[in-house]
Amino acid sequence: MTSTRAMVVTLLVVAIICSVVLSFVYSYTGPRIEETQKELILVGLKEVIKADIFTAVVSDTVWEAMDSTNNVLGIVFRVFPQGYGGPIPIMVGLDLEGSITGIRIASAAEGLKETPGLGVKITEPDFRDQFIGKTLENILIKKDGGDIDAITAATISSRAVCNGIKQGIEKYASYLCPPFDKCRVFPEAFDFTEIIPEVLWYAIKENDTLGIVIVGGVQGYAEKIEFIVGVADGMRITGVEILRSNETPGIGEAIRDKVFLNSFKDRIPDAITGATISSKALIEGVQEKIEEFKGYLK
Amino acid sequence: MKRLSIFTRGLIKENAVLVLMIGLCPALATSGTVRDGFGMGLAATFVLFFSNIIISMMRKVIPNEVRIPIFILIISTFVTIIDYFMQAFQPDLYRALGVFVPLIVVNCMILGRAEAYASKNPVLNSALDGLGVGLGFTLTLTVMGAIREILGNGTLLGMSVFGEGFKNAPVIFLILPPGAFLVIGVLKALLNKYYK
Repeated sequence: MTSTRAMVVTLLVVAIICSVVLSFVYSYTGPRIEETQKELILVGLKEVIKADIFTAVVSDTVWEAMDSTNNVLGIVFRVFPQGYGGPIPIMVGLDLEGSITGIRIASAAEGLKETPGLGVKITEPDFRDQFIGKTLENILIKKDGGDIDAITAATISSRAVCNGIKQGIEKYASYLCPPFDKCRVFPEAFDFTEIIPEVLWYAIKENDTLGIVIVGGVQGYAEKIEFIVGVADGMRITGVEILRSNETPGIGEAIRDKVFLNSFKDRIPDAITGATISSKALIEGVQEKIEEFKGYLK
Repeated sequence: MKRLSIFTRGLIKENAVLVLMIGLCPALATSGTVRDGFGMGLAATFVLFFSNIIISMMRKVIPNEVRIPIFILIISTFVTIIDYFMQAFQPDLYRALGVFVPLIVVNCMILGRAEAYASKNPVLNSALDGLGVGLGFTLTLTVMGAIREILGNGTLLGMSVFGEGFKNAPVIFLILPPGAFLVIGVLKALLNKYYK
């Protein structure tokens, strides 16, 4: 008969040793795991749209695709519609007009759970490539009145792919917008109605106004900085973009930095060190414009 | 010679899946292709080998009353290690094996060897025992994977075996879960006929 103390001590010591060992293993493999996952995603992204740079708009779900000179080419999103055997992981590329540039469905080795020999045929080029060039209206299998040939004896899987892509486009198409457009600073909105020409718009989603979008200008260090800002009801800034500026290259132009602009979404940021005048001007300009038009917010 | 037999008996004579009929669940679920079966087998062998060594080393200090939780702790540590390494270096295999990698923790084959052998025998013997049983498991899963992949999908290691004609109408049944039962049954029948 062992004493209770011996039991507790042995168990505790073993548990501590195991935890220490595991934390060492994790510190070595953890970064590598993240890298591997990023690489895998990048391979998929490049397969569905021909672009060089991808920036995540919604983490792990929506990416914006750009060429090497930062021109926006479209977006890529991921959906997981329920298939016959489980969720089907699909990646879809959209160009700026909203038509599909390519889709990628994970293979069985990558976690697709459809029936071998039947449902898994959705990953084959014959089925997959039918989607290229299609838009929201004609993504349905022929049985449901669309343009897609379903796979024989795998109607459920084929239909799931169509529905998943369709719902994905409906959900994420609002992220699809040309540079400098209003939707870039107000991605939740689907439509914009002008209140004051060239200056103020209501951001609208399904007949509800969500907030406003303002275009404004402010004197910077060198020239006038023009900006566009989205403000949701409750005075929440949804995004800020620079439309035009001609500050000192490498110094004042730091206000175009995405991290700086994105930080507006949480709270009014601090000025950028080294670009104090330009960034302060922008911050004040944004605040002034919001103050001026806040009467339009609910 | 006795040492050698400790190693070899796990391969066929006391094969975990086909003779002792333990560890059947992962054997059924992950033997759809050669790669999956082989990968799962090696992962289980790694865990079995090292957990047997550690448990055997600690057999004199582990209090009898709490031996099972300690075994599980040690086993799950090795399972987590292999899980991390697979995620980092073999992400495709990791996703194909899915939940069956973490489930190695509760694979009765591994806990069974810890309880029945490693906790009562010296380190070297336990290591040989773990390696033998693990490789027996790997061998079974690889053979099952080969049979199921060739006949069920017309491929071996992802490459076409019989050409395009067969690819359109393979024995799909074999790659589905019931096919695994059939293959295990056939292998066991062959083993019984030729090994007794």
